[in-house]
Amino acid sequence: MAIRQRPRSARLLVVTLVAVSLAIITVDYRAGEGGPLEEAGRAVSSALAPMQKAVSSVVQPVSDFFSSLAELPSLAERNDALEAQVEDLRAAQQLNHELVGRIEDLEQILGLQAILSRTIPARVIGSGVSNFEWTLTIGVGSDDGVAVNMPVVTGASDGPRLVGRVIQVTPISSVVQLLIDRKFGVSGTLSTSNEAGIVEGRGEDELRMELVGPGVEVSETEPESVFTLGFEVNGEPGLYPPGILIGTVSRAFSEPGSVDSFVTIRPAVDFSTLQYVLVMVRGRAGDESP
Amino acid sequence: MRRTAVLVAVIVTALLLQTTVFPELTLLGVKPELLYLVTVVFAALRGPAEGAVVGFVGGLAQDFLLNMPKGITALTLTMLGYTVGLARQYITSPSPLLPAVLVALGTAGGVAFHQAVAFLLGEEEDPFSYVAKVVLLTAVYGGVLTPIFFPVLRRAAAATHSGRVVHF
Repeated sequence: MAIRQRPRSARLLVVTLVAVSLAIITVDYRAGEGGPLEEAGRAVSSALAPMQKAVSSVVQPVSDFFSSLAELPSLAERNDALEAQVEDLRAAQQLNHELVGRIEDLEQILGLQAILSRTIPARVIGSGVSNFEWTLTIGVGSDDGVAVNMPVVTGASDGPRLVGRVIQVTPISSVVQLLIDRKFGVSGTLSTSNEAGIVEGRGEDELRMELVGPGVEVSETEPESVFTLGFEVNGEPGLYPPGILIGTVSRAFSEPGSVDSFVTIRPAVDFSTLQYVLVMVRGRAGDESP
Repeated sequence: MRRTAVLVAVIVTALLLQTTVFPELTLLGVKPELLYLVTVVFAALRGPAEGAVVGFVGGLAQDFLLNMPKGITALTLTMLGYTVGLARQYITSPSPLLPAVLVALGTAGGVAFHQAVAFLLGEEEDPFSYVAKVVLLTAVYGGVLTPIFFPVLRRAAAATHSGRVVHF
């Protein structure tokens, strides 16, 4: 008797669980962003964040050690090159000090301080759980002033480079959608030809930018850079401030006689080695957060 | 109580490894699907009902970390756990490789099913070639990792035992 009943109860159980899953999918799909399950998602994320912080602080040095082993043969060469660079940078730094002072004076005169972005530094504590989403978890959240839709960049000597945007915040952590994610889009502009278009993430492949105008010439010796455009829509500023480096054009495609043309863009950021990022705090960000 | 605690510990550990350690240890750029592995192993050891429950809870936890409609992974893993648990009753092979083969086949089928549901909901934008690559590599990676995780998961599955001996 018991043996006969067990398969039936297992079947009943699985039917119930499947029905519950389908109900969850339906409710969450119809609610879109900010649905009732968002809160539960945030709870799971914030419960996991402290553990991710702890594990990543253990894992990171180990993985750094192994990656530095692989680079050992080229280290001496790199060291010489870096020493030469340090000399150059020292000279440049002198000049920069003077220029920074002058810029600060000018900003005060023009009242630009409030418009310029403030940034929040953050450590990467985890990656996305899926192979079909390109996200990172960072160790700062709403308690630190982070809100949904804030742009995330890395600092480099030649200016900020775009990493992505914040798509979920908990009090202590945030999820950043990388610009290579297939749901990511940003308006960009080419540095020399001034062509504009939407740059879209393509997962493992390079970014793609549809162009409004006719095809662009791509120089192999001097690849054209792509920056965020940051235009205004209906008087509202875009999510991204202008002038953040997205990447460099790698190939251009245009069909003769057709208005359709696009370029592929190699991102400026190496996402596999990313450890620290900056979240840009702007007035517009967070408007769309639930 | 003990059963719930063990189950939560297994799922949280799998999610932690998946988001911190394995992004550094990818197989040709692809991370393993540890919750698929956990579900298949529990289903093989404890039968369809336990497999479905572990799959549902683990899947839902993973869903909450994804930027797509919640519930797709829960649905996938519930069905995977139940199917593997049922199939296991008809397999009499004594091969020690059986868990690895089950994990590989289960992961391939599960990931393909997950992406098919995502596609039907208009959430799937990856080209077919990429989906096929992930299906294949997660299956291989899952199979390779099974011998490493199996002893731990077998002990965890034994700890979830209610005390009564149930043969499947």
